[in-house]
Amino acid sequence: MNIVVCCKSVPGLVTDLKISADRKSLQYQGQLLVINECDEYALEEALVLKKAHGGHVTVISMGSIKSQDVLYYALAKGADKAVRVDSDCQDPQVAGTVLAAALKKLDFDLVLTGTQARDTLGGQVGIVAANLLRLPFAYAVVDVEVRNVNTIKARKELGGGRHADVELQLPALLCVQTGIQPLTFVPPARRIRARQQPIGSFSMADLGLQAEQLTPKGYRFVTVSPPERTHQVELLQGNAQEIAAALFNKIRESL
Amino acid sequence: MARDVLVLVEHAAGKVDSITSQLLAIGQRLAQHMSGKLVAAAIGHQLETVVAALQGAGMDRIVVVDDPALNLAAAEVQAHVIAEVVRQMDPRLVLIGYSLIGMELAPAIASKLGINALTNCVNVEIRDGAVTVTRPVFDSTLHAQIALDENENAVIALQKGATSPSEIPSQRASVELLSVDVGNFPSRSKVLGISEEPRGDVDIAKADVIVSVGRGIGNQEKIQLIAELAEALGGILACSRPVVDVGWLPRERQVGASGKSVAPKVYVACGISGAIQHLTGMRDSKRIIAINKDPNAPIFQVAHIGVVGDLFEIVPALTNAARAAGNR
Repeated sequence: MNIVVCCKSVPGLVTDLKISADRKSLQYQGQLLVINECDEYALEEALVLKKAHGGHVTVISMGSIKSQDVLYYALAKGADKAVRVDSDCQDPQVAGTVLAAALKKLDFDLVLTGTQARDTLGGQVGIVAANLLRLPFAYAVVDVEVRNVNTIKARKELGGGRHADVELQLPALLCVQTGIQPLTFVPPARRIRARQQPIGSFSMADLGLQAEQLTPKGYRFVTVSPPERTHQVELLQGNAQEIAAALFNKIRESL
Repeated sequence: MARDVLVLVEHAAGKVDSITSQLLAIGQRLAQHMSGKLVAAAIGHQLETVVAALQGAGMDRIVVVDDPALNLAAAEVQAHVIAEVVRQMDPRLVLIGYSLIGMELAPAIASKLGINALTNCVNVEIRDGAVTVTRPVFDSTLHAQIALDENENAVIALQKGATSPSEIPSQRASVELLSVDVGNFPSRSKVLGISEEPRGDVDIAKADVIVSVGRGIGNQEKIQLIAELAEALGGILACSRPVVDVGWLPRERQVGASGKSVAPKVYVACGISGAIQHLTGMRDSKRIIAINKDPNAPIFQVAHIGVVGDLFEIVPALTNAARAAGNR
């Protein structure tokens, strides 16, 4: 079974944040780039499925050249091939269009990705791509079982401890939850070796996408700022003993 | 009508989810502003009790797609049917709850309709004449406000608890059956069944005091510190998702959207940053105490009392204070 895993490179630290001139996106310096957490779990699931059922795992990431490190990391973990899509769009419909075009160029039975990226917190791109490619999909998947060469069973969360078991014909797309597999450690030597492997890339022209398809439409950013506090949190000060005594009184009067 | 607001009704086993009444309350305000009508749309099978429960919740019309094939429909089928309903009703805005159901459906519906979906929103209002949403970005440390262009359609997915349901004057809504061809949709997936999490030995939802631990604890051995505090306070130990994901505590202890929703008298969050999935499950707690070393952690947006500091100092001191009081 051939699997494509979509991994996003996300910043641990954001500076110089502002709204772009056309008000369609956020501009910032992203530092401490890492693989998006649930995408890493998607990669782990792909590698487990590959071990059990064969095939190859291709990782794909959309972003600037800076996002390449995430692909080397995925190769070090055991992915066979890596492709970067040269696009830094934030709009979920546009990103879904780009991803769908890139997936068309790859050979897969299954696409795995996470549920949500920690920067945009949108949770849309995988499902938009699935819809454009007319792939069956499931979101918040916590277990994957291969039934036969044409069918998988996915267990997805419905919230409040409820789950649904869904049977999907391949090719299909799953957005997986954190915790689906244990995260594996990558020895530094493997990470260094992985950097020798080639990384493919797709430009927008390679994907046959026109400027019109790549332009977000219909909205504008107005502000971006720390959240407005709906109520004031009472912050306790002092040494540990003083804080503990105050906290204990607050707890006791609440009961 | 292109000024209307359509609310997608979330229901299970004949019961309407509380998120729907929140959406209807917000939808009514928006519809009034735009001089449009508020429409509730329910899809499923045998929806009589759902429709009855909706009556009086403020909408002008209830539209229903009732089909046996919708009883256990896969997401691609549900999205197709809802998109068809939206095409027939032609509202300006579609409101969906940002529950696990809405997370799966909102992007697919918007993609089918060729419009934007604004997901994970904490607010939607008319601001300077424009429909404006507020949604978190960058791990919820920042909020972005996004305004829709004039007459632009969108699917808006709102977090549970984003706004409290308002008192809506009761009125009887007309009920209409819509016809959508469900059976002929070329579905490539099907729901085999729905299961409840097996009940474990503990039910955190029943406790008056919950002491909850998050990723900030660092390693499994240190969870003992939090367990001791829970015991000293006569409460129960719970946790956020990352602690379960790495296998340090069982799933039955998990608070949040995919775990349990709790509303104890006291909720002590230790080393929990406050991802929205966690806040959804505990924001109704009567008194929320947060201990976290990051003053910008989103948990402080819902906490009543906060300590910005090292939980490895504060927690043992609090355990000692509770034990000393217990021994007196």
